Amino acid sequence: MQGQPPEMKGSTLAPIAPHLAGRPASGLPIDKLKVPKGFKAEVWTDGVPEARSLTLGDKGTVFVGNRNLKDVYAIIDRAGKREVKKVLKGLDTPNGVAFHKGTLYVAEQTRILAYAGIEDRLDNPPEPKVIIDGLPKQVGHFWKFLAMGPDGKLYFNIGAPGNIVMPGYIQGTIVRFNLKTAKLEEYVLGVRNSVGFDWHPKTKQLWFTEHGRDWMGEDMPSDELNVVKRKGEHFGYPYCHQGDTLDPEFGKYRSCSEFTPPVLNLGAHIAPLGMRFYTGKMFPAEYQDNMFIAMHGSWNRTVKQGYNVIRVVVDANGKAKSEPFLEGFLTDPKANPPAWGRPVDVLVMRDGALLVSDDYNGIIYRISYKK
Amino acid sequence: MAALLVAALPFMACPLFASAADPAAGRNKAQVCAACHGAAGNSANPAVPSLAGQPAQFIATQLIMFREGNRKDPQMSPAAANMTNTDINDLAAYFSAQPLVSSARITAPATVAAGRRLSEQYHCVSCHGPALKGQQHIPRLAGQQLEYLRTQLRGFKAGTRFDMDGNMTSAAHALSDTDVAILADYLAGLK
Repeated sequence: MQGQPPEMKGSTLAPIAPHLAGRPASGLPIDKLKVPKGFKAEVWTDGVPEARSLTLGDKGTVFVGNRNLKDVYAIIDRAGKREVKKVLKGLDTPNGVAFHKGTLYVAEQTRILAYAGIEDRLDNPPEPKVIIDGLPKQVGHFWKFLAMGPDGKLYFNIGAPGNIVMPGYIQGTIVRFNLKTAKLEEYVLGVRNSVGFDWHPKTKQLWFTEHGRDWMGEDMPSDELNVVKRKGEHFGYPYCHQGDTLDPEFGKYRSCSEFTPPVLNLGAHIAPLGMRFYTGKMFPAEYQDNMFIAMHGSWNRTVKQGYNVIRVVVDANGKAKSEPFLEGFLTDPKANPPAWGRPVDVLVMRDGALLVSDDYNGIIYRISYKK
Repeated sequence: MAALLVAALPFMACPLFASAADPAAGRNKAQVCAACHGAAGNSANPAVPSLAGQPAQFIATQLIMFREGNRKDPQMSPAAANMTNTDINDLAAYFSAQPLVSSARITAPATVAAGRRLSEQYHCVSCHGPALKGQQHIPRLAGQQLEYLRTQLRGFKAGTRFDMDGNMTSAAHALSDTDVAILADYLAGLK
């Protein structure tokens, strides 16, 4: 594979793919799921093949994107029963979904679409308005995470077009789009691929997860949790990984001191994806403004890790610490596959519960708390 | 951290949703496939792939990709167009359980040696497994039909063959036409 050095040619490591038809929760060891004392983890709904990014409509509809499939699902909660509808189909890698003031925005591979008033028309959705077209078509990292910023701009990633390659100027970035002026700009650079980000409720700074490169060893480099202090910051890719390690090829003649290091190294090849700050009222007060991060789980490592949701706490000095929150998917770190489920995104619901999507099975879990 | 175990709650069945795979149902649904893919998924046509012994997740993924239009083929696209996820899971469960009948063809020793070298050079075993029998969503190559292997490799090289994550397109990029011929011959002769 691209970037795989000759000395790793005998490796049996390979990417893990989701069950695209979905798997029923009834056939899975859901009782293995573990959460801290006082919390409960349960299946919220299955039957959402390749469930990936999550967003919440103004009327409580949960919209779900996917990546290898072409759909956006809408899930309506009617008196404790979930109704799952395939509301949009035929899209190209609709991984990014963001709902804002009545409109569902969807990020495809090369376009951003807007579906105004869709929550009232789930059985007959409106035609989309194409608000951005012509984004790069590329072989790798072409799926997007999409979110509306507190500044009213739409933010999304444009990943590096391969594992370890020199990206074009607009690639390996997080970009943002001003809906009023229809202008796009790079926000931050040197980001190999970020498929999860959110703004701190108080500081309004953007925090984002990032996947490091493959084929550099079991423990190298770590995937990252980063924070943006200003527009234009460069986070190191492809020159410097995890804040302190120069790339064997691209790091020649560079210094890691040129770039912004991560706030927290999350673990090598652990695949952090969606993340949200907790702003609900259900969980205990000490969870307020903490981050929940979905870890899809590693493939480029002989001892697999991740396959969970972690909680990240940032102290008054800006130092971050993580602890496990939802576990139980990983069954055998050395097996192939090592886990029965893979978290992708998290969503804070109106009642303060946390939803977790699992694209491996097409299932969404709900984590709640009771004193 | 204390463990808190919860049973799964029953939910409304969704028409889009597949129940657990049923290979017996798959056998019935597979009758139409035999015309091209052979009895019990053992193809007698060098241009058509054998399905027997392919990993279930591989078969399911390809049928979905044909249905969704990501992968296009004049015969398979219409064949898959109306398959439900249940059909696909049943077919996958059936075919993956069928034994692949060893073909009588013997690859010339020099080609075996050259093919093995190429498969190591291009890291085929990384994904396709040590005996190239596939795993998860990745197909079995050992004993597959020669002409089919050749056209798929050429397709990856040309960037025209559907590729879920770009890995096969990258892998095939560096192969020469001679490499493709040697690899197809080598793989087809593996047991």
